[in-house]
This record gives sequence, structure tokens and C-alpha cells, in this order.
Amino acid sequence: MEICSVTFLPDNVTVKTEPGITIAGAARLAGIELKMPCGGEGSCGKCVVRLTKKGTTEELLACQTIVYEDIFVEVPQNVRLGEHQILLAETEQNFQTKYDFEPLCQKVAVRLSPPSLYENASDWTRLSCELSKAVGGKEVVPSLPVLQKMAHLLRKSDWHVSALLVAQNGFYELIDLQPGMATETIYGLAIDIGTTTIVIYLVDLVSGKVLGKAGTYNKQAAYGDDIITRIIHCQSPKGLKQLHDAVIDSITELTEQLLATSQVVGSKVYVITVAGNTTMIHLFLGMDPKFIRLDPYIPTAAQFPIVKGKELGLETTPEACVYCLPAVGSYVGGDIVAGVLSTGMNWADNLTLFIDIGTNGEIVLGNKEWLISCACSAGPAFEGSGITCGMRAMQGAIERVEINPVNFEVRYQTIEGTPPAGICGSGLIDCIAKLHRVGLIDRAGRFCELDKPVERLRKTDEGKEFVLAWDWETALGKDITLTEGDIQNLIRAKGAIFAGIQCLLKTVQLDFSSLERIYIAGGFGNYLNIADAIEIGLLPDLPHHLYRFVGNTSVRGAYLSLISQTALNAATEIGKKLTYLELSAGNNFMEEFISALFLPHTNLELFPNVKSTTVVRGGNSD
Amino acid sequence: MAVEIFKEKNRSAVLEVVLGATREQGGTRTHTITVGGDSALPFYHFEGEIPNRPVVAMEVQDIVPEWNNALIKHFADVIDKPGLWAKKCVEEYGADLVYLKLDGAHPDGANRSVSECVQTVQEVLASVGVPLIVVGCEEADKDKELMEAVAEAAAGENLLLGCAETDNYKSLTAVCMVHKHNIIARSPLDINMCKQLNILISEMNLPLHKIVIDPSIGGLGYGIEYAYSILERARIGALQGDKMLSMPVIATVGYEAWRTKEATASTQEFPEWGDQEERGILWEATTASALLQAGVHILLMRHPKAVALVKKQIDQLMVSNKY
Repeated sequence: MEICSVTFLPDNVTVKTEPGITIAGAARLAGIELKMPCGGEGSCGKCVVRLTKKGTTEELLACQTIVYEDIFVEVPQNVRLGEHQILLAETEQNFQTKYDFEPLCQKVAVRLSPPSLYENASDWTRLSCELSKAVGGKEVVPSLPVLQKMAHLLRKSDWHVSALLVAQNGFYELIDLQPGMATETIYGLAIDIGTTTIVIYLVDLVSGKVLGKAGTYNKQAAYGDDIITRIIHCQSPKGLKQLHDAVIDSITELTEQLLATSQVVGSKVYVITVAGNTTMIHLFLGMDPKFIRLDPYIPTAAQFPIVKGKELGLETTPEACVYCLPAVGSYVGGDIVAGVLSTGMNWADNLTLFIDIGTNGEIVLGNKEWLISCACSAGPAFEGSGITCGMRAMQGAIERVEINPVNFEVRYQTIEGTPPAGICGSGLIDCIAKLHRVGLIDRAGRFCELDKPVERLRKTDEGKEFVLAWDWETALGKDITLTEGDIQNLIRAKGAIFAGIQCLLKTVQLDFSSLERIYIAGGFGNYLNIADAIEIGLLPDLPHHLYRFVGNTSVRGAYLSLISQTALNAATEIGKKLTYLELSAGNNFMEEFISALFLPHTNLELFPNVKSTTVVRGGNSD
Repeated sequence: MAVEIFKEKNRSAVLEVVLGATREQGGTRTHTITVGGDSALPFYHFEGEIPNRPVVAMEVQDIVPEWNNALIKHFADVIDKPGLWAKKCVEEYGADLVYLKLDGAHPDGANRSVSECVQTVQEVLASVGVPLIVVGCEEADKDKELMEAVAEAAAGENLLLGCAETDNYKSLTAVCMVHKHNIIARSPLDINMCKQLNILISEMNLPLHKIVIDPSIGGLGYGIEYAYSILERARIGALQGDKMLSMPVIATVGYEAWRTKEATASTQEFPEWGDQEERGILWEATTASALLQAGVHILLMRHPKAVALVKKQIDQLMVSNKY
């Protein structure tokens, strides 16, 4: 068997591999992550690399090209999974946390009276009585390793010990016993597993303080950008294992990085709380998510058992107990439960709307009396995927656009001010709002016929497109354009979200005017401009002060559950009490959707503050 | 004590659209026809005004159409002469308007030139005095050029031109504005898209009273109830003051009815169904009569006997039932 060597440039990393592997596979071996929104199907054309062999260079798709000899592969910057804006923090809100500090793992120091001939209860009876008193009368159950060392330890430490207790469902498990007043700190991790990104908080469980935060890409992106592609990938041999390993790898890397910077040992992490959408949790626990995708869309479970880190392959924290926040349904998961928990809308008097805008828009409506939720598939347009020059919100992404209403010249602003490489979700929304405002597109999102040609508006085989940035000013030396198809994609995405909101409100026979608070969550939401979002009809036309950006509420909910058992119980309650409205089951979603496929909406009276922007273009009316 | 019968009060009414123009108005028609204006549900004379009767436009084509023989035989002597065909429809069969469909322009069909088609339009205009409805061949690029030429050649005639659709309305709207014609706004059986198109057209500054909507229909037995409920929603919207759903409605009755198996299957094939021509007539007339009661203002029809039946029904429906 011959061995080929594949050298990646400009990294200058060489991997030795057997022939028959794809370049993408070799790149993974080399630790280079490539963009593969389609999951390596060869359909998206995003993983183009330059292949040099024997002096000739050609551009090929990394996911479709098989290695059978020694080659040099140049991986351009725009093909790599780059660093992009990951929203680590929940936006500082004055969420009044109603939850007492009562972490999932506690250290309790007790002094026992020694046994005698007359007081002859067993060591464990003696210890458990005292421990039970210390934790409000709850039952305490010993673990075997502790029992094995208990007799000697108690006597050696003169009946003065510190016990490490981890909250289980309704009881505590004694997982370690140390002599005297053990002063070592204990730690926990709060994790948000997003489809795109993973965020981890390292928490000191004695003080409740967050010691460090870190975020990274979910390595599952190599198997597809969106949930559905990944579920499909699960059906291939080893697919489920690959996806499980990818998420565990991402978490392990991030954990190690966090522990190293905070100088904490992994063995001191005793509890981990995890929030993520239902599919992510299935993959994290190694359950096949196949039936989440198929009618009638049923998950394996919505409540998850407490498991040990080592069972999942979390080698850094093998003994930690892992708690997954409960889900509501297949498309409203623990991340949304965490969101409800952290915004406190489950005990608010005010009618509150919570929207997590992403590939899937999840929407929750309610207050302390009742909660109802739904999920609508917005598609990946907001994430910049499926858009000709779309990209995630990372360096070089166009995020703001100004169009001159007279000569249609464009001014834009990119993230970090570098030359533009593409356009991200917030830029797209801004761009469409502006295109309509200056009369370049009509309310259906189609380019208007103009009296005189405009250089930036040109015809291609695919239809018309508008040039946002000319090749000479961009990072990649190619024009950055917005096509009619892109605009339609975005209109469908915003239409789905708005229709979801409408359906939810109509189900409970309320309208916008009854909303008293709106929380916008999620990584994308944070970079959203409310005025633009209303102008294109993504969000209801309500006073801006009702809107609050709350950022990553998923990780915050996980954090609250970590430092407060009451919060974890509340999350369980939310999971049970949240009504799930299935939009594909015979209500008016389709009708609402079609009427939302318009700028801002077919019923213009729903958007009284969005000015009519008819541009008069000659022609005489009678 | 007398029982007070509850009556619905409507806030608004369907808009009126005037078709055609007389000599004083800059055209050459002998009279104009006004449609719409209803301030009640169809024929609820007791709840509002139904000022204008629904009208029937008979279909004429610029080339010999591939129609069922039950239709062709009534036009056999004039089927290749659109001018005379139109004249026959008006003078013998009582058509209120002529609906000229320029199918011959289609590039994959007869591919008649724009100037030939314009000549046909002028020929029909010269041979009848009623207002005219003219639509293209359903091929976007050809229609763009064709309707522009037709609109210009017939400037002042206040024609009803079609068809504008969501992804192809701009050029037709523009020529209707420039040459002062009315427009047919066609949507695919979807009330929201119907409304969207009206907004798009009016945002190009074509006045609302120059728009007639074709929400698409299905023939009897082929989704007519779907069409019915959309028409009903549009009418209710109009009465509640939704200006973007207030335009009069046009329906392609003849086309839909004569596509059905029940209208065209031969008597030999289904002897138990009875005579084929009679079936076809009834199919077209019943389709028309159902849609009339859903609120259609302009019926585009084909068979002279179906036209006669429907006109008789319109007479009866226009008798006031006020109380």
C-alpha cells in the first residue's frame, strides 16, 4: 500500500495518508477545518482549493477530490472556517434573578460524634444523618468509592470531614469525602451547544462567579451547516459517531483552553450543565436524531438523564455529572427553555415575546400564567448561507449599507473595517431595507425598471443583480453582489419568522398591541438593527423601547441552572409547561407566510410607521 | 310588533371601472361599460347597491383556435376572420364586450409578428362598437413588446389589457399608464398574492380604478370552491374598506369550462352522460353562474348558448330583492 503525502499551504502542514481519501478528509487530519455548508455533498461549491502537482495548478472542490498521489494544496482564507463573532456573553440585563444560590455541587463540612458500644450505628448512618441535616433534609446516597475509603478516613480525620455532594433528581450523591475543612474550590461548566457555535463558562461553585468564558465553532459544521444536513449525515455509516465525536472534540478543546487559562484541574470540575437545541443534545448524548426530521417529528426524549462525563467521552472532566436542560419538542429545545428561564418571562406579569432568530426561529409567547412556543424554519439566509456572497458575521462582512437615492452609489461598513469579503445577515437586512427605500426594488423584492441604466444594477443569466462592492475594493478581488434570488431568500426567511409570530399570537387570539416586552436572543439578533428589521417586516412595528437584545440566553440559562437547583427545577417545569404549537399541523401558517412575503407585509396597516416609499418614475397618472 | 331583520352595514364598496371610450372621450366606441361599484355581497340588493350588472365578454382569437367542435361550429363562417367573428359575437350572440386573445403571437406557435397582431386588434376595433379586452400570448418577452404596441396603437380606446403578474407587471403597468388603458392583475388563486400585486401596480401610480383583478378560477368540479372562497374573501375585504382588494373581478370561464373532460368527452365515449354539446353548454353556464354569485363582474365566455343562459340569469339576479 502506497502512502501519499498531502501538504497544505500556506500552513506548510503535511499529512501522510492512504490513497482514496478526499482532500477535505486530509485537511481534517491536518487540523484544517474547511467550510462545507452542504456537508461535503459537492453541491455548494464553497470548499474550492488550489491543487498543485508537477507544476500545474487547478481549482477543485476539496470534498470531491480524491487523493492518489503526493500533492500540494493551497487553502485560501475564505475557504477556512474562520474566527467569527461568537457571542459569549448574555447582554447585561437587569434580569432579576429569583433563584437562590444553591449550586448543583456543594461542599459540606460536618463533625460527627464518634461511635461507642452504646451508639453503634454504622459510619454511613452517622454521616448521612448529618449531611442530610445540612442539605435541608434531602436524602444523601453514597457512591461506592467513597464507601470504600470512608471507615479509615473518618477515623483519621477525627470525625471531622468535608463532603462533596452533587444534586441528583430529588436527592444528593456523595461523590467525595475529604478530611477536615477542605478549602479547595470546586468548579462547574455551563455549556451552550449551538448548531454553529459552542460557548462555555467556567464557574466557581463556591462563589458563583464566572471565572472564564470561551467560544468556538461547532466542528460539526464540517458535516453540514444546518441541522437537517447533519441529521441526514447521521444516516450514513459512522455518521452519528462522527457528529458525536465532533461536538465532544469541540467541547474538550474549549474546556482545556478554559481550564488552562484559569489554572484549574479538570478533576475539580464536578458538574456540567448543557443547553442546546433538541438535535444538538441528541448528538451530544449519541442518540440518533433521525426521526426529528421525519413526519411526525418526534425526538427520542425531551428530558434527559444525568450522566457522567466519561460516558460521553469528555476525557478532561470524566467524573463530572452532566445535566442537559429539558426540551419542549423536536424544534423547541433546551436552549429555548434556558432562554425563558434567564429572561424570567415565566414569572413575568407582562405579556412577553421571546424570539431566537437563527436558521430556525424559535418563538415563545406568554407570562407567568401560560407559555406557548413554536419554531419556524427561516433557512440559513440570516447566517449568510445560501446567499451568493453571504458569509457569517466575521471580519470583512458588510454589516451596514447606505445607498444614495439619486445616483445609487453605495457606502458600506464592514466588521473590523477590513476590505469586504461578503455580506452577513444584518448587512443583508440593512441592504434590502435601503434598496427598497431608494426605489431599486419593489415590495415583492424584485428590481425595478429604471429610466436610465445604473452601473451597479446589471443583468446576468440568472436575472438581475446589484453590485455592493466592486472587485478592486474587495478582499477576494471579486464583485460582491446581491441577486434577486438572494433577496427572495431573505424575504422568505423574514416571512417565516414574522408568520410564526403572527400564528402564535392568533392562536391565543391576541395581537401586537398586547405585547409589553420583546426579547431578541441569539447570536444574530445581537447585531440586528431594530429599525431595519421592522422596515423589512421581520419584526412587528412596535415602539423600539419594547425591544431588548438579550444575547446568548442559552448559556445564561445553563449557568443559572448550574448555580441554582431551584433554577434547574424551574427549567424542568418550563419544559413541561411550555405548549408547543406545531406550525405544520393545520393552522394558518402558510397563509401568514405568503402574506409576509412582501416588504414589509401584504397588510400594510400592520406597519403604520413604515413609510410608503413609492418612487415616482415618470409616467402620467390621470 | 314588527320583527326587525338584521342587515349587515358595509363600510365601503367595490371600485367602479369604466371600459372603453366614446368619440367625445377620445376613443371610437359606441358606448362605455362600467363594472363594479357593489356596496353589498353579490346580489344582496337589500343590504346595499348593485349599480352595474355583471357583463359577458365573448372570446375571439387571432388564429383559428384548437377548440372543441361544439364551439367551432357556431363560428364556422368567421373563425379565421377575427373582425367578423367579433361582430358575430356582439350582433348575433349578444356579447357585452369582446375578449381578444392574441394566441397567434406565441413564438412556439404561429409566431405572428407584433404588427400583424396590432392589425388584428384594429380590425376588431373597427368591426364592433363595444369595449375591448385584449390579452397577449403568455410568453413574457413577446407579450412585453406586443402589448406595448397594442396599447400605443389603440391609445385613447381605454382597453382592458392583460395580464400583469407579480413577477411580470412593470412593463404592462407602464404602458397602461402612458396610453391610459386598464389592466388585468392576475394572481394564482391566492388572496395575499392578489393583494400584493394590486399594491405593486398602484405603487407604480396606476390609479386603482384602472385595475381589474383575475384571481384565477377553476372550472366546475375542478377547484371552483377554492376560487369561490377567494372571491368571497376579496369581496368581504372590499366591503370592509380594504382598497387593495376593491377592484372588480374578471374570470376566464370559457377557457376553464372547456378544458374539462365532462364538457369535451364525446357522446360515444360516455353515452350515459348525454349529449356532449349540451353538457359543455351546461358546464360553462354553471361555472359562470356559481362565480357570478361569488362576485365576478366580467365573465369571459365561449359558447353562445351558455352566454344566453347566463345573461338570462344575470337579468334575474339583478331584480331587486330589497325589503
